[in-house]
Amino acid sequence: MRHPVRTAASVAAVALTLAACSSGGDDAGAGATDEGPITLDYWAWGTAQQPMVDAWNAAHPDVQVKRTDAGGGTDSSAKLVTATRAENAPDVAIVEYNTLPAMIVAGVATDISEHVDGLDSEFAPGVWNQVTFDGATYGVPQDAGPQALTYNKKRFDELGIEVPTTWEEFADAAEKVHEADPDAYLTTYAPAEFGGFAGYAQQAGSEWWSVDGDAWTVDFDDEASVAVADYWEDLVDRDLVLAEPLLTPEWNAQLNKGDILSWPAGLWAAGVLYGVAEESAGDWAMAPLPQWTEGDSSVGFQGGSAVVVTTSAEHPEAAAEFARWMGTSDEAAAAQIEQGQYPASLSGQELTLESDPPLLMPEQEDYWEIAARITQDTIPEISWGPDVNVASSAFQDAMSKAVTNGTPFRDALTRTEDEVVADMEKSGFDVTQK
Amino acid sequence: MATALDTRPARRTRRRWVAPWLFLLPAALLFVTFLAIPVCYALYLSFRGMRVSGGGPFGVRSETWVGLDNYATAFTDPEFLAGFGRLAIYGIIAVPLTLGLALTFALLLDLPRVAGARFSRTAIFVPYAVPGVVATLLWGFLYLPSTSPGSWVAARLGIGAPDVLHGAMLYPSVANIAIWSGVGFNMIILYTSLRGIPAEVYEAARLDGANEWDIAYRVKIPLVGPALVLTGLFALIGTLQVYGEPTTLRPMTSAISQTWVPLMTIYRDAFTRDDLSLAAAASVALALGTLVVSVVLLRVTQKRSFGEVS
Repeated sequence: MRHPVRTAASVAAVALTLAACSSGGDDAGAGATDEGPITLDYWAWGTAQQPMVDAWNAAHPDVQVKRTDAGGGTDSSAKLVTATRAENAPDVAIVEYNTLPAMIVAGVATDISEHVDGLDSEFAPGVWNQVTFDGATYGVPQDAGPQALTYNKKRFDELGIEVPTTWEEFADAAEKVHEADPDAYLTTYAPAEFGGFAGYAQQAGSEWWSVDGDAWTVDFDDEASVAVADYWEDLVDRDLVLAEPLLTPEWNAQLNKGDILSWPAGLWAAGVLYGVAEESAGDWAMAPLPQWTEGDSSVGFQGGSAVVVTTSAEHPEAAAEFARWMGTSDEAAAAQIEQGQYPASLSGQELTLESDPPLLMPEQEDYWEIAARITQDTIPEISWGPDVNVASSAFQDAMSKAVTNGTPFRDALTRTEDEVVADMEKSGFDVTQK
Repeated sequence: MATALDTRPARRTRRRWVAPWLFLLPAALLFVTFLAIPVCYALYLSFRGMRVSGGGPFGVRSETWVGLDNYATAFTDPEFLAGFGRLAIYGIIAVPLTLGLALTFALLLDLPRVAGARFSRTAIFVPYAVPGVVATLLWGFLYLPSTSPGSWVAARLGIGAPDVLHGAMLYPSVANIAIWSGVGFNMIILYTSLRGIPAEVYEAARLDGANEWDIAYRVKIPLVGPALVLTGLFALIGTLQVYGEPTTLRPMTSAISQTWVPLMTIYRDAFTRDDLSLAAAASVALALGTLVVSVVLLRVTQKRSFGEVS
């Protein structure tokens, strides 16, 4: 290292040579230009991203990707909108499914239909539907979060609780748990968990936003959602579930003590729980989410994200190629699985079957089989509106208020609907309130 | 000859004009760049709004002129207005207690022959050096039953610990953090002001037969009046700008909404709901309100504290 300049020069020379060699037959069509390799800026959070990007960079010397962690889902989306207006957004970014419509109307995500032709066969219809709007495709799905029940098997066995298959059984189990151990609760009803509630409501058959032609219909307090709200209200009223925020120091302490026995949430729950209750790893297991009607098997999504190309991208074709690779290549899927993410692509999900179960439940041999089955059963038609951010913030406050003041949970849904409709009307959308 | 005499003062005058402007330039540049321009931009933004232009269910929104729409929305938003009500309850607890404790500590430290003055002064001041978010997390852990030593002791004694993050206890709990952090800073200002009072004043008071109580009440407090007004003004402005403590506590309790205080509503509108224009309008309103309240407070107290006749 005594001649740093010369070293740097030779490294650059090697890089150029490599770029020149590979630019001929590379699959990234819009690869190297006369100015040398292109660099794509990529915003993504989570532990799985860097290994995936590294794998891409190693295989694609002429399209190098530089990853920036711009915060989790909410923060990253907020920054994407601001950066797009300032005209310095990254070329590619991770966006959660339920935020994607908001990113489209904010002018962040660009239509990549022409670059991803025929890609739909790589995904289950329910997953592909999350990135397709009005006939146009705005992203490539990367990971999926179908809802499941992650539960503390050891405590279930101790208290003699059977794994519930319907929500009715779930309520009975909640009663039994609390009777057997007054400190223990079967689960938490966190009023700020908009995504969780949305999943339960979707499973019950509600459709909060729907599009007909150019017009939106908004209906948060339909029969199904109200039934879900009443169900949880009853459990909270009878003190059978804990009505507190998740992942607070308080909650984590109770979880570690074995006083919180389950979490009905996206498949990623195993990773989150492992992060806060590592010592209880091995006590846990995953089962399909309880059903509203016995014999049904459908579940909703909670979380999951897609790779989108932004309107600021200078090389949209190369960016779309990167998005496609991140969503469908085996290398990318392997890196995801290793970090505990559930791949969105069918091939990636097949790959999980050869993998070890997550660290939280190392002994559950059939974990990935159950996961694959659940994913097959996700509801294919879920549409998110253009202002999920407004819905989410309105829901959080209205539901927290209902829990704190003991007012009907269903009123929180009506309140959320009012705010969502008001926002959409203000923005100039054609919207009908049901 | 005559011309030479005429030009010299003119040149001197010009030089006299140039020098102050040169000295002012750096501050003026910073002021314009980081205050005036952003304020004007916020004003401009407050009259704009994002509206769908293309049509269709996924029409892209773009910025247009919306007049006073944002101000109307802000002033008719019951949650934004309720935030001021919550702010008032918080302020009624936090401001008098912070100033009262600061004044008490300052007077105690200023007593002649007080033991351990230097240590006490530092100990009272140290919480101010703890960043607000850290202080809030620290108190948050003390408030949550599973991590609080208070609840542990209460459980051992067989009594239930109160839930300090819900119901009526929430306000004192949030205010407590601000008081804990703020007393030291205000105490230092008042103490410094006390040290500036000439010793002859006390001598005269003692010759007239005043004890330490009388001196504190009749001499010291009136003489630190201007410092009290200043700290009061800071406390008031600080109250209107409460944001960090409730925001940091929010994940720990369902009782704090995203619109708990006005600044939290502004943050939510700007960054969670992507409505920068509404946030700008609310910010302008809040800033003007703060200005009016500050001017009124200074006007009311000016005559008494500074002995000025306006």
